[in-house]
Amino acid sequence: MQKKLLLLLALGFWPSYSYSDSIAPYYGYTGNAITDQSLRWSMGNVLPDGTPGLDIQNVIYGYKIQKETGEWVTVYVQNEFAEGAGEGYIFRERDDWKPGSLAGTEILKAVPVGNLPRALWGDGSIEVEGNGSVTDASVVYTYKVTPCFDPQFDPNCPGYKQPVPEIYEVDLGDVYDAVAEGDSDQLQWDPNEDEQIDDEELSEEELAEKEAEEEKNREERQEEALFEAGRAELFAMALSAAQLKDATQINIRSYTQRTIPGGVYNDTAVLVDNDLPDAKSGLRNGLAQQLLHQQMVAMQYNLTK
Amino acid sequence: MLNKNITTLGVAAAILLSAQSGIAQANETPINGTVQSRCIIQTDTAGTFGNPNAYTLTTASADGGENAVIRIDVTLANSYYAEITAPSEFSSSPTLPDQVTWTGDTEVKTVSDSTTMGAYESGKVELGMMDRYDLTATGSTWFKTSSVATMGGNKAFPGGNYTALVQADCIAK
Repeated sequence: MQKKLLLLLALGFWPSYSYSDSIAPYYGYTGNAITDQSLRWSMGNVLPDGTPGLDIQNVIYGYKIQKETGEWVTVYVQNEFAEGAGEGYIFRERDDWKPGSLAGTEILKAVPVGNLPRALWGDGSIEVEGNGSVTDASVVYTYKVTPCFDPQFDPNCPGYKQPVPEIYEVDLGDVYDAVAEGDSDQLQWDPNEDEQIDDEELSEEELAEKEAEEEKNREERQEEALFEAGRAELFAMALSAAQLKDATQINIRSYTQRTIPGGVYNDTAVLVDNDLPDAKSGLRNGLAQQLLHQQMVAMQYNLTK
Repeated sequence: MLNKNITTLGVAAAILLSAQSGIAQANETPINGTVQSRCIIQTDTAGTFGNPNAYTLTTASADGGENAVIRIDVTLANSYYAEITAPSEFSSSPTLPDQVTWTGDTEVKTVSDSTTMGAYESGKVELGMMDRYDLTATGSTWFKTSSVATMGGNKAFPGGNYTALVQADCIAK
């Protein structure tokens, strides 16, 4: 019966105007808000907040009254205002069960509430005043979601504006200004901090003393530099010596301790002739060189013809 | 002479015209209208007979049956009675071997407003199988009707389909 009522409501609120599917308002309904006998419910569990453009349109509830026929029992079905949205109740429906109404009689009620944004709805409850109780309770909310509640949701929404990316103007002077004064975040060169002593203001003695001091400093710096250089050189020599030492300590015993089979090794080549004459080709070659030498000497003294 | 004849002709014509205009004229123009009933009756749930034994048909849920539920919507307060009559015969059934005894009752099942409709049930008037409710408020009321059919002589109901009708009427005050 409740489903039929919901269907009728959904058809009744079906949009009669044309919209593209993505931005057309759509409708729905929640499940039963009451899940236990406490007759209290949290709206966060029934219809989570956070959907922009979600409005509650109807509250549909039902229950059976349990009471004596002669009793007057008043039942409230209600929702408090959400925290920070207001005081009291955003929705409160009163049912008076007067004497004469019978136990077990059921009520089914659809209460239009207009379009109240979901964010306004706080927790709900059923409150019974008088000597009676309710059973088989159910509370259902019907709602409408308007996607174009935020025109920027879709380009087809009325009022949509082409988004323009925000480009922040950055003043480079704010980031670093080499000549800025008073910016504690920057390391600045303060010419006043240096000892600017005009030589013209010094006397001759002071000037001589200053020069002597500078000379002394210069010598100290040079000495220090030489010391550092010498130390570096010593270090390099020590390193070189260490490398040489490492190189000479190669284990070569494995090569020198080879054993050779013992015994007598006799000569195998025997020269038969006692006189070995010079090779004639060598003589000819030596004579040619001698002649060439004499020719060259003669050329030196213009003896050549 | 000519003038006299003309005069006579004119008088005759006048008499003739006079006689013509004296004929009765009749016309009927309809006035149409549609009255939407301020009392709308709908079947919410069709009942079902259970068959706990061979000679009984009942709508009791304990016996596998289901009560019929009728919804009446009233948009004009204090103008109608609802008369709901539980069945006292089958509208269709196999040939029965004996007389059937009927019992039935109607109760308010659900109301849409407790303050104005809560006492409908206690204020009803029972006339045999018919229950009369004074619809004093606008809104919807659901009535449930139970029915029990018992075959005479404890004879068995023949196999087949059985249908009985609950009659609901809105009677203008």
